[in-house]
Amino acid sequence: MIKIKNLSRVFRTEEVETMALSEISLTIKQGDFVSIMGPSGSGKSTLLNIVGLLDSASGGSYQLLNQEMIGLKEKEKSKARKENIGFIFQNFNLIDELSVYDNIELPLIYNKVPSSERKKKVEEIADKLGISHRLKHYPQQLSGGQQQRVAVARALINDPKIILADEPTGNLDSKNGNEVMELLTDLHSNGATILMVTHSDYDASFSQRTIHMKDGMVLSEKTNSRNVDVLISQ
Amino acid sequence: MLKNWTNIFLYHIKNNKLFTALNILGLSIGIAGLVFATLYWNEEHSYDEWNPEKDNVHMVINSFNTVKWPYTVGPIGQYLENDPNVESYNYCYNWYDSDLFTYNGKKQKIAKAFHTQNKFFDYFPFPFIFGSGKNAIKDDSSIAISERIYKAFFGNENPIGKQIKFGNNFYTVRGVYKNDLKSSFAPDVVVTNNVKKSLAQSLDLWETFNFCLLIKLKDNSKKELVEKKIERLFIEHVIKVEAKEANISLEQEIKENGIVTINLEPLKNARLNSLVKEGYPEGVGNYQYLIIMLGLSILILILSIINYVNLATANAIKRAKEVGVRKVLGASKRNIIFQFISETIVIVFFSIFLALAIVEISLPYYNEFLDKDLKIYGSQFYLQLSFIFGLVVFLGGFFPALYISNFETLKVLKGNFNRSRTGIWLRNSMLVFQFAIAVFFIIGSAIVYQQVTYLSNKDLGFKGEQIIEIDYLKKIDPQAEKENKNIVFQNYMIAKEGLNKIKGVSQVGTGPFSFGQGARSSSNYQFHDANIQGKNMAVDFGMMEMMKIRLKEGRYLSEKYASDTINNVMINETAMKLLGMKEPIGKEISTGNGVKFKIISVVKDFNLYGPQEKIAPMVFMHLKTIPWMGQNVNSIYVKVNADNIEKTISDIEKFWTTKVDTEYPFSYDFVDKKYARSFKEYVKQKNLFSLLNVIVVLIAIFGLFALASFSMERRLREIAIRKTLGAETNILLKELSKQYVIFCSIGFVIGVVPAYFLLQKWLENFAYRIDIQIFPFAIAFVSLLFLTLIIVLAKAYQVTKIDVLKYLKYE
Repeated sequence: MIKIKNLSRVFRTEEVETMALSEISLTIKQGDFVSIMGPSGSGKSTLLNIVGLLDSASGGSYQLLNQEMIGLKEKEKSKARKENIGFIFQNFNLIDELSVYDNIELPLIYNKVPSSERKKKVEEIADKLGISHRLKHYPQQLSGGQQQRVAVARALINDPKIILADEPTGNLDSKNGNEVMELLTDLHSNGATILMVTHSDYDASFSQRTIHMKDGMVLSEKTNSRNVDVLISQ
Repeated sequence: MLKNWTNIFLYHIKNNKLFTALNILGLSIGIAGLVFATLYWNEEHSYDEWNPEKDNVHMVINSFNTVKWPYTVGPIGQYLENDPNVESYNYCYNWYDSDLFTYNGKKQKIAKAFHTQNKFFDYFPFPFIFGSGKNAIKDDSSIAISERIYKAFFGNENPIGKQIKFGNNFYTVRGVYKNDLKSSFAPDVVVTNNVKKSLAQSLDLWETFNFCLLIKLKDNSKKELVEKKIERLFIEHVIKVEAKEANISLEQEIKENGIVTINLEPLKNARLNSLVKEGYPEGVGNYQYLIIMLGLSILILILSIINYVNLATANAIKRAKEVGVRKVLGASKRNIIFQFISETIVIVFFSIFLALAIVEISLPYYNEFLDKDLKIYGSQFYLQLSFIFGLVVFLGGFFPALYISNFETLKVLKGNFNRSRTGIWLRNSMLVFQFAIAVFFIIGSAIVYQQVTYLSNKDLGFKGEQIIEIDYLKKIDPQAEKENKNIVFQNYMIAKEGLNKIKGVSQVGTGPFSFGQGARSSSNYQFHDANIQGKNMAVDFGMMEMMKIRLKEGRYLSEKYASDTINNVMINETAMKLLGMKEPIGKEISTGNGVKFKIISVVKDFNLYGPQEKIAPMVFMHLKTIPWMGQNVNSIYVKVNADNIEKTISDIEKFWTTKVDTEYPFSYDFVDKKYARSFKEYVKQKNLFSLLNVIVVLIAIFGLFALASFSMERRLREIAIRKTLGAETNILLKELSKQYVIFCSIGFVIGVVPAYFLLQKWLENFAYRIDIQIFPFAIAFVSLLFLTLIIVLAKAYQVTKIDVLKYLKYE
C-alpha cells in the first residue's frame, strides 16, 4: 500500500540545514498496524507528515496505492489526502467553535457527500464510538478521552484506506489512553491499515511491527509478539 | 457547507460582539458617506440629461479681454437667419422675472417667470399636458404655465383659452407643461411680449448686452464657423466703427482695446462645465465642491475598509488552527477563500443596510446643507450601490481571504505560526495610511475653521445692523422715463417722506444694489488710458452715512451742492487703483459715450458682495444724476431704532401696504442676516469638515486600538518571558508602544503633504484668505500622537499585568 524508497527531508533556514530524514525506505502493506518509535528529533513526526501528504520530501520516492506522491501539486495532494487518509493527532485538533456533530461531519462536506447521507454516517460512527450523547456539545465540554474519540470518529468517517496517528494517547491519562489503543486494535482487526507514531512502548506493543528511528534513519524493525488471550472457540 | 460556515461565523460574532459591531458600523459610515456623495453626483449630472436637444442648443458667450459674459446684443440674430449652419436662434433672458399672477380673484407672486422668443419649447421640449410646445407661446398674448401653477390656480378645470393677468398685462393660457425634471432653464410661466419689444428696440444697438442668445445648430461640428461669423459681425459693426471714430487703423484699435471672442456653449455643459456663473437661471453646480465631496467620502470609505482588512487579517491568526484543520480534512485553498469571502459578503450586506438607514435618517440635514432635494431612488442609484457593494467586498474581503488561505497547515497545527513578513509589513503600512488620512482631516478642518472664522469676523466696511431691506416694486412708466421724468425717484421720495414720519425709523435710503448680492448694473468708466467696469452705485443723499461706509478722503454727496446731482461722483479705493489715479479728487472720469464726471471723494472699500469675493471698482453718484439707474432700484433701506423694533416694523408694514404698494405683499429682511447668508455656503463647509473630522478620527482610533490589541496579544508569550527575566512595567510599556509612535509620525509626514497642497488650492477660492501657518499642523500632530499614546498605553498596561505562567506553559 505504501512504498517508501530513499526518502529524504531537509529543513533549510538562512543559516542552518537540518537533515530530518535521511534516505529512509520502508513498506507498509494493506492491513498492517505499524508503529514508529524514537527519541525526540528522530524524524518520526516528519515521516508521518510526509506519508500524510502534509509535507513534501526533498528526495526519494513515496508511492501510495501505487501512485507516486512526491512532486504532486498541493491540489492533487489535498485530493489524495481527503480520499484516502484519516488523521488522529496528539492534541486532537478539533475546531473548538464547532459542535461535535459539526466536527465529525466536516470531512464529508469536503468530500461532497450529500446531506442526507452525511447525517446517517455521523450518527452511525458516533454510535460506534460511544459519543452519540455528546453530539450537540462543544469540544471544551468533553473530557480528554471523549475528545480523542471524536477525533477518531472524524478520522474514520470517510472510510479512509489508511489511518495515521501521531501520539494519539500523548495527552491522555492511562485509562483513556488504553481505551483509544483498544479502539485502534479493534479497527485493525476489522481490516484497517494503521501507521502510528508513539513514545510509549506500551502503545507500540499493540501494533504488529515497530520501526525504531534515530537521527532521521531507521535503526531497526521489529515484529511484536502480542500477549493476547485468544479465545479459541468452535 | 453553508451551514457549517454559518455556524462558525455566528460563533465568532457572538464572541466578538463589540468588535464585530464596531467593524460593521465603521463600514456603514464609510458606505453612507459614499452614498451621500453619489446622490449628490447623480443629481447634478441629471440636469438637462432628459433634454434631447442638449447637444444642439448652444448659448452665446461673449469674451472681452478676459471677462466672459453670457449676455449678448440684439442685432446678431438677424444675421443668423440664413446661415447654413444655424437651424434657428432664440433670444431670451438669463434670469427669471418675478411678478403677480392673477386669475379668478386669486393673486400670487410668481418667482420664476421667463421672457423669451417663441422657440423656447423647441429647445426645451417639456412634455405638455394641455396644448403643445409649438402653439403655447405663438403670439404676444399667449402664456404657457407649468403644471404647478396650473394646479394652484385652475385645480382641475381646463385652462386653455382662459384669460389671466400677469404683471400689468393680460394673457391667454395656451399651454400647460410638466416641469419636474432637472433643467437649467425651468420657468413656471413663459411669455414672449417682453423680449419681442426689447428686441425690436435693440436691432441696432451693438453695445447693449442685455439678452441671452440661444442657437440651435444643424451640425454641431460646424460650431466654430458660427463662432467666427459672430466675431466678424462684432469686428464689422463695433470695432471697425470705433477705429474710424478714433481715426486709427483696425489693427491699432484691436491692439489697444482687444477683440470680442465668441464661444458657443452647448446645453450639456451648462450645469457643471459652464464658462460663466450667471448664464443659467437655475444656476450652475459647483463642480469643485462636487469633486471635494466625492473625494472626501472615498477617503473615508478607504479608511473603513482598511480597518476591516486590518482586523480581518489580525483576527485570522485566531482562526489559524481552524484553517489548518480544515485543510487537513481536505479543504482546498479555494474552499477557504470562499468561506472567508462569504463572511465578508454577509458583513458588507449588513453594513449596506445600516448605511442606507443612516442616509435615510440624515438626508434632511444633508439636503439642508446642500440646499437641495435629494432622494434615494432611481435604477442608476441601485446599480451604483451594487457596484459599491462589490468593490467593498473585493477590497475588504479578498486580501484577508487570500492571506488566510495561505496558512501552512503544518505550521499552524503545531502552533509555531510565524506571521509572514509581508503580512506584517502590509498591515503596518495600512495603519500608517490611516494615520495619514486622519492627519489630513485634522489639518484640513483646522484650516477651514480658521479661514471661515477669519471671514466671519472680517470688517466688511459697512454696518448692516438694524437696517432692513424692503422689497420695492417700483412702477415704471416707460414713456415718462423716456422723457427723463425719473418717476422712480419721485415715487421713492414720497415713500421716504412717509417712512421718516414713522416712530422708530431713523433713516431711509436706497440704491440699485443689495448687500450680499451686488450691484445691478455696471458701466465702463475711463481715465486716460485706463478703463474699468465700474459698478453703478446710484444713491440717495445720506445712504452712505446710514450704512456707515467710510471715506478715505473728500466728502459725501450732499444736498448743499447743486453739482452733486449733476455730475459729481465718488469712487472707491479699488476703482482708484485700477484707474491708476494718484490724487483723484477734482479729476474727471468719463463713460463710454463721453459723459464726464468729477470726482469729489474716495470711498473706503467695502464688501458689497460676499466677504470671499474681491471688491469690485465702484462709482457712486446721486440717483438723479443718471435717471435710468433708478429703474434698477429693487429695495428701500430703512434704519430702525433698537427698542421696539417689532412695533416699528409693523407700523412700516401698515404704511407700506396702504400708501406705497397696495398689490404686493410686504416683504423685508435684515441686511446683516441677508448678508450672512451669502457666505453661508462656506460656513457649512466648515461644519461639514469638522463633522467628518470627528468621524475620521474615531474610525482611525478604533482601527488603531483593534490592531494594537491584536498584535499585543500575539506577543503575550514574549512578554511573559521578558517578565520572567525581570523586565519592569515601564520598560515593557515603552517597548510595546514604541512602534506606534513611529507609525504615527510617519503617517503625519505622509498626510501633511497633500493637506498643504489641497488646502492652498481651496483657499484660492477666496479673495481674502489667511496664510497657512504651522499651528494647524502642530495641532494635528500633537493631538494624534496624544490619542495614539493613550490607546496604546492603556492596552499595553493591561497586557503587562498578565499571569506569566499561563503563557509559558505551552508545549
